[in-house]
Amino acid sequence: MALSADDRVADLGTMRARLPHARRFLNRAPAGRVVGLTLLALVLAFLTVYPLSMLLYGSLHSTPPGVAGVFTLDGYRDIVSQQNLLTLLNTVGIALAKTIPSLFLAVLLAWILARTDTPFRGTLEVLVTLPFFIPPILTAMAWGMLGNPQVGLLNQLYQGITGSTASPINVYSYGGVVWHMMQYSVPFLFLLIVDAFRAMDPSLEEAARMCGATRLRTFCTVTLQLMLPALTGAAILSFIRGVENFESPLFFGSPAGIHVITTDIYDSINQRSPPQYQYATAISFVIMALMFLIILMQWRILRGRSFQTVSGKGYSPGVMKLGKWRWATFAFCALFFAVTVVLPVSQLLIGSFFKFFGFYEWDMLTLEHYQAVAGSSEFWRAFSNTMLLGFVGATLTMLLGGIVAYVSVRTKWRGRRLIDAMAWLPWMMPGIVLGVGFLWGFALLPHAIPIYGTIWALLLAYISLGTPLSVRVMSSAYGQLSYDLEECSRVHGASWLQTMWRIMIALVWPSFAVGWVLIFFGIMRELSASVLLYSVGSEVLSVVLLKLWANGSAEQVSVIGLIMMAMVIVFRWVQLRVIKRWIGAL
Amino acid sequence: MFLKLKRVALVALVAGFAFPASAEDASWDAVVAAAKKEGKVVVYNMALGAPYFAAVVKSFEKEYGIAVESLDLRASELVERLRTEQSAGRYLGDVEMITTTMIEEQLKNGDFIQKLPPIPNAANLRPPFKATEYSIPAYVQPMGILINTRLVKGDDVPKSWNDLNSPKWTGKLLSDDMRPLGSGNTLFAVLQNNMGAEFNEKLAEQRPVFSRDMRNDARRVARGEYPIYITQVFAFASDLKGLPVKVIVPQEGAPYAEMDLAVLKNAPHANAARVFMQHFLNVDSQALYANAWMLPVVKGAAERADPEAQPYANARLMGMAKLSERPDMMALAKKLYP
Repeated sequence: MALSADDRVADLGTMRARLPHARRFLNRAPAGRVVGLTLLALVLAFLTVYPLSMLLYGSLHSTPPGVAGVFTLDGYRDIVSQQNLLTLLNTVGIALAKTIPSLFLAVLLAWILARTDTPFRGTLEVLVTLPFFIPPILTAMAWGMLGNPQVGLLNQLYQGITGSTASPINVYSYGGVVWHMMQYSVPFLFLLIVDAFRAMDPSLEEAARMCGATRLRTFCTVTLQLMLPALTGAAILSFIRGVENFESPLFFGSPAGIHVITTDIYDSINQRSPPQYQYATAISFVIMALMFLIILMQWRILRGRSFQTVSGKGYSPGVMKLGKWRWATFAFCALFFAVTVVLPVSQLLIGSFFKFFGFYEWDMLTLEHYQAVAGSSEFWRAFSNTMLLGFVGATLTMLLGGIVAYVSVRTKWRGRRLIDAMAWLPWMMPGIVLGVGFLWGFALLPHAIPIYGTIWALLLAYISLGTPLSVRVMSSAYGQLSYDLEECSRVHGASWLQTMWRIMIALVWPSFAVGWVLIFFGIMRELSASVLLYSVGSEVLSVVLLKLWANGSAEQVSVIGLIMMAMVIVFRWVQLRVIKRWIGAL
Repeated sequence: MFLKLKRVALVALVAGFAFPASAEDASWDAVVAAAKKEGKVVVYNMALGAPYFAAVVKSFEKEYGIAVESLDLRASELVERLRTEQSAGRYLGDVEMITTTMIEEQLKNGDFIQKLPPIPNAANLRPPFKATEYSIPAYVQPMGILINTRLVKGDDVPKSWNDLNSPKWTGKLLSDDMRPLGSGNTLFAVLQNNMGAEFNEKLAEQRPVFSRDMRNDARRVARGEYPIYITQVFAFASDLKGLPVKVIVPQEGAPYAEMDLAVLKNAPHANAARVFMQHFLNVDSQALYANAWMLPVVKGAAERADPEAQPYANARLMGMAKLSERPDMMALAKKLYP
């Protein structure tokens, strides 16, 4: 990672004299590499730059593509207002307020579950990641009942115990928005960093301990420092997701008069007459520019530092013995699981067996929601489409991300920074706007390119949306691998492909598996692009969930949410078993 | 004598209409035959898989043997998808079913729909509904007041919109947001026009709590979080039987949104589109909507609604929001609810 960080910054400063460099590069680089890099750039350009260029056009034009109008800067001009500045500050404040404690909790959980002898940590690892996979609509519904100030169960419990009439919990507040975001953020961060903790050679920590450092000092000065690329990368992803989060402010912020950028964008597209696409796209590009600045900051933080923790030397990924404190760490993980999963999921589970969610009377007990879901041909069609898109999409996305990350982190090829930046682009654009970019982009393709209105449109959109995450996951994994591993393999006569397969892929496989699961379930939940691109026959689960929700079938939405959770448990269990086998083989 | 005259008049009426009717029948039969040849119809709609819409689609497929491809989207997505497809020359849809004001907006911003071909059932529309050059009413979604029957009893039950401005409801009203486009602003605009400016000013002083999750909001009222919800689409409460809620139709009437059908420009299955619209205006199809607490637009359907649905199928209507007034109403709502 040190090299890549260096080169990233160096490349930014070497824009001049690009043409002669390019010519020299073409003269020197093997033809296969040039073709490969060009092909990679073209794929990324189609998946990311093309839809974004449509949105850029929309931000600079008085009408959306295809409609007569004029080029103007009105969209950008409209952004400059005191109200928008306040909204932006609010958004950044909420994103920070959820990222910082989330990162703290995620690091603690990752350290406990990957580096200590806490009991049942295999099971706990599956359990603490579950909140990430519950559709936000469901947790919003559950927390709306648990934490509303009038009749919330937690408030009633408090009142019952204390005899007070006060309601200390109000989810319709800043705290509610941040809390709802954190339930996704903590497991997301945990998933991104836990393998970095797990794959770290403990000899570095042992050396610090032998030199007299306390456990805390070792943790802060060695462990955390070595995790810096993974931590900063994950934190930035989490912060960006915080800025772009839509559901939490919509469900819990809007009723309390809390405005953020995404709800503003949503209003401008969905709630104004006519829809203000120029404003929505313009403000999205401003956000994108701000996000890019943050990424530049990360590159600067990491510049010139080495974070390689997996070398050619054999090591055993041992764990720290905590003694009696192991039960305290167990209790901490169990508490996190209880609050973020048991409470809301109990609501979903119980609700799914009653005629109406939230109304628990004996005469309302029923299995009709399970029967309705099981007997719905639309559900099964959407399920099979989603599985197909999930498996193919997650695999292709991880392969693409793996290639981009490899080129970006492990090579010094010219053009690699451009490829890395292209892969980042979709992550920096709010999903509700990016969906429109895909719609415009695919619809305006020549009719001879049969993408629009087919399942391919969804697949390509999912790959585009997932690539930034896959690149980040794989970049962190590659960044930890010492270069001597590759060099050693090549010195011993292995071909590049053999080295890739036997060394690189073998070592980054756990990260690949984590990324695959994250992207698979990301595809399962994706709505913004899906609802604009699906066609009859290519419905996906998120669209079915939306329809059920819009029709007031919250109970069936709960059933599907529970099915998704069961799948997560199975996937994670299989994944962890596979990872364990690989780690054991190291 | 009077009876004789009546009989003569009837014979004259029959004689006058018999031949044209046969000609129309023959021409309509040709449309149906052409529709069957087309084999399918693609309907862009905002029903999002609603069971009553699915039931109409099923009965259409059964009656004509023509497959329906229903693309269910939310309002803004539907409009943008149509606009993009039409601009790109991708003529995939045949019929759209969206609000009157959205159709007006489409006509204003681009020619994405085509002039309406004759639909025989349009002759059966009940007042005040009528077809225009481009669209035909499909059904109506009126709005009333939802109360929690455990919390709002006896004389407290609001009978008029004005009752909402009683001090006892200060801080206790839940509502769809009145500032952006949607049901909340429709209610705001219609009440502004019908109840006078003072009504909305007083309502703003009641500090209603805004939300945008209409289906869940009805349940929040049922759970007792709030005693009253003031933008209750009748139909959204029709499936809450068993919960302690009731929809009140105020004496002044109900603001409403009208959903219309229109044929899209260059519809690939134009005949099937016409037959689908004709089927949608059948009394049987309309009765399905009436039973889901919506207001049917043709004669003879409201009468066939279940007794429980009757008050809603025959509710007094107050008016709907006008496209021309929309910017002013949205600005005013923002001013009253900063």
